[in-house]
Amino acid sequence: MVSTKTPSQLVLNGLLNENPIFRLALSMCPAVGISTTVMNGLMLGIAVLFVQVFSSCTIALIKDYIHPRIRIPTYTLTIATWVTVIDLVLSAYAPVAYKAMGIFIKLIVAFAIITMRLEVFACKNSVNKSFWDGIGMGLGFMFGMVALGFVRELLGMGTLLGYDVLGFRPLLFFALPLAGFFCVGFMMAAFNYIEIVFNRMKKKTG
Amino acid sequence: MRHIERQKIFLLGAAILMVLISLAGCKTQHRFVDKTAFKGSHDIVLTFAAPVDADWARDASNYRVCEKPDPDIRLDIAGIHLSADRRIVDLHFQEALNQGQPHVVTLHNIMSEGKSLGDETVNVKKLYLGFLFSILIGAMLIHNFVFTKYLGLCVFFGTSQKKTTAVGMGITFTLVIVASAMMSWALYQFVLKPYHLNFLQIIVFIGLVSLSVQAVDTVLRKINPALFKAFGVYLVLVIANCIILAVPLILADNEYNAWESLMLALGAGLGFLIALFLMSSVRERLELANVPPTYRGLPIAFVVAGLFALAFLGFSGMSIF
Amino acid sequence: MKEILRITIGLTVSCLIAALIMGTVLTFTERAKEENERRDVQNTMLALLGYSGSRPAPADLELMPVYRYIVDKKGVKYLGYMIPVKKDGKTGCTLLLIDLSGKMKSRHDLELTPDEATEASARDAAMTSVLKPPTVFTYADSFIIAMLGGKRQAYLIPGEFPGFKTFIKVMLALDPTFTIKGLDIMEQEEDPGLGGEIIQEYFKNQFIDKPYKKVKNLKVVKKPLPVEYRRYLEKSKWKKGMFSPEQIAEIRHKYEDADIYALTGATISSRSVTTGIRNMVKKFAYRTQILDHVIARQKIPAAF
Repeated sequence: MVSTKTPSQLVLNGLLNENPIFRLALSMCPAVGISTTVMNGLMLGIAVLFVQVFSSCTIALIKDYIHPRIRIPTYTLTIATWVTVIDLVLSAYAPVAYKAMGIFIKLIVAFAIITMRLEVFACKNSVNKSFWDGIGMGLGFMFGMVALGFVRELLGMGTLLGYDVLGFRPLLFFALPLAGFFCVGFMMAAFNYIEIVFNRMKKKTG
Repeated sequence: MRHIERQKIFLLGAAILMVLISLAGCKTQHRFVDKTAFKGSHDIVLTFAAPVDADWARDASNYRVCEKPDPDIRLDIAGIHLSADRRIVDLHFQEALNQGQPHVVTLHNIMSEGKSLGDETVNVKKLYLGFLFSILIGAMLIHNFVFTKYLGLCVFFGTSQKKTTAVGMGITFTLVIVASAMMSWALYQFVLKPYHLNFLQIIVFIGLVSLSVQAVDTVLRKINPALFKAFGVYLVLVIANCIILAVPLILADNEYNAWESLMLALGAGLGFLIALFLMSSVRERLELANVPPTYRGLPIAFVVAGLFALAFLGFSGMSIF
Repeated sequence: MKEILRITIGLTVSCLIAALIMGTVLTFTERAKEENERRDVQNTMLALLGYSGSRPAPADLELMPVYRYIVDKKGVKYLGYMIPVKKDGKTGCTLLLIDLSGKMKSRHDLELTPDEATEASARDAAMTSVLKPPTVFTYADSFIIAMLGGKRQAYLIPGEFPGFKTFIKVMLALDPTFTIKGLDIMEQEEDPGLGGEIIQEYFKNQFIDKPYKKVKNLKVVKKPLPVEYRRYLEKSKWKKGMFSPEQIAEIRHKYEDADIYALTGATISSRSVTTGIRNMVKKFAYRTQILDHVIARQKIPAAF
């Protein structure tokens, strides 16, 4: 349905209410595997932000010309094009970041979050609103990745963005990719807890 | 009359058979070495068709062993052991052999029963079937796509709540991934590579996935409607699965041939099935357990998945064959 | 019918547009990508030789590449070396065919400059013009000889070998006596925190200054790294006045003939790296000695 939210509300929505990783539980593959450091999370978050925004805008632009039967292939095609473009651009101009993110860039195509957002939002709303929604979702994703990366890098390697903060390694376990499972689980629980407390407070006042 | 004809045919048949046997016999005479194999980590074993002279066999200068890509580097033989019937020669090397590479053994002037049988060059390599099997097990357990590579998690958590859904999803997924992997391999080898269209990889592969899903959908509908009713709904979910795109990307990167791609796809699908089955078994139990409210649903599922991933870490670095 | 036609046309048009966009981006970015890769390798090589931003390479430093091929002439195998040679004051390329026992079989001058030879396709074309079918050749590897003021300063050899998980790509710098002077681990996919520690200085730098006669038998020992050795190895953490020049020489001499101390919890990765480097150096030394012998005997005007 057509959204009636203002741009800032859309962005906040993407960050908190409908945060793709922690609330919508979509696109968890990178959240678990790649968020080992803040830098990684940041880079992938930026890449996803770009793909999301560009795809949302493109689909919103051409939504009147898409035949309803070939909706999903068109979304896939758009996302794939933008992903390839970003893949090529990154490998040419930011090779260090590209090496770190490897296969995940190519896999952005299969991220459910982007397709889902296009289906739910972009094909029904104007370019302007789709743009802000894309930004919100992208930022929400980036926020989630950076938060995870923060916890894992600090506890696992004792560094932050490469700078030695603690000077020792508390728990190497967190640097291993599989700690992502535990971290996402705990963070989701944290979000749930915040929601429960929030609801309880609302009930008290309301 | 008939008697003579039958005799003629019989004689003709016998003559042809003799020619064939003698030809075959000629062939084996050229290949004097019956079998070659690696033994342990330091040995190569050669089995001959007939006993060889002990003096010839024990002279290390009659053998020239090198790895196939380095024909100029001759490996030093530390010791030679000849079996009692003089048909098996065991070449022992001081350093561990790099069994990942095929080795070439050139035998100089083979002496058997006093007669010289000339030179012969043979290859020693590990069983190809072993290599294929190791790719299969690798994709299934050692590099399990869910627990070790963290792909396909969205669908994984979505369908692992009940055993029946999980198994259904797993089987459907295996079918689709084998179909699409084979098609991707064909397209990659015959279209993308020769024409330098590598940047179209993503689009082509995901197009093939949609095609496979559509194909499996149609085929299943016609062949087994009952099965379709049970599994059809999962087909749509397969598209949103990261693994289905990762497998063609990996086989393009590693330049696997058709058999190896098949093994990789099978391993990926079966690994996903195993992961789903394990997860669903636990989650069914979790439904009945007393989980704190903040953890109910996905958070505890993630923690469980983390524990499984820890367990699968035990497979890491394993190498069979 | 019309529906299906519209759908098909729509899909095809969108596919074509997408391919067009991607193709244009590719043409713009491909050049930059190749530039990046080349610059990466160049910087790694200079760093291995000891030069960096603060200590730039001198102007008369020359990096001469030598390419090795395996040539199959009617079932007999030869090694083909494409080396730069001096001819009338200019540098050209020549192909030497050496048989498996180390004697030169033939020499072919190539219509190729060393700059052109960096492109694989140019090299292949030049080779095909002198090695007519049914002779076949396959590219094996290449190495670089660093010349300073006309004298050999170092050899730079890239190599790849299996590690604990997948492959490990390294680049070694050897001095003319085949002592290891530098090691750079270019690519590895080992476990972070365990096998991934092979890129840390306290493991990597153990290989430096090991003489050839020790590298030939280099092994891994599962003993803890002595504290003074560790402090010596972590060069980037040296503080002013920590080590006097005599102390440095003393520690270096003490551990010259020691085996490699394994990483905690990553014995197999340590062993893979040690075995890989040992094999690389052994094969390289063997081949280079043969090549030098042939060049000297045949009095080939090599540019190195």
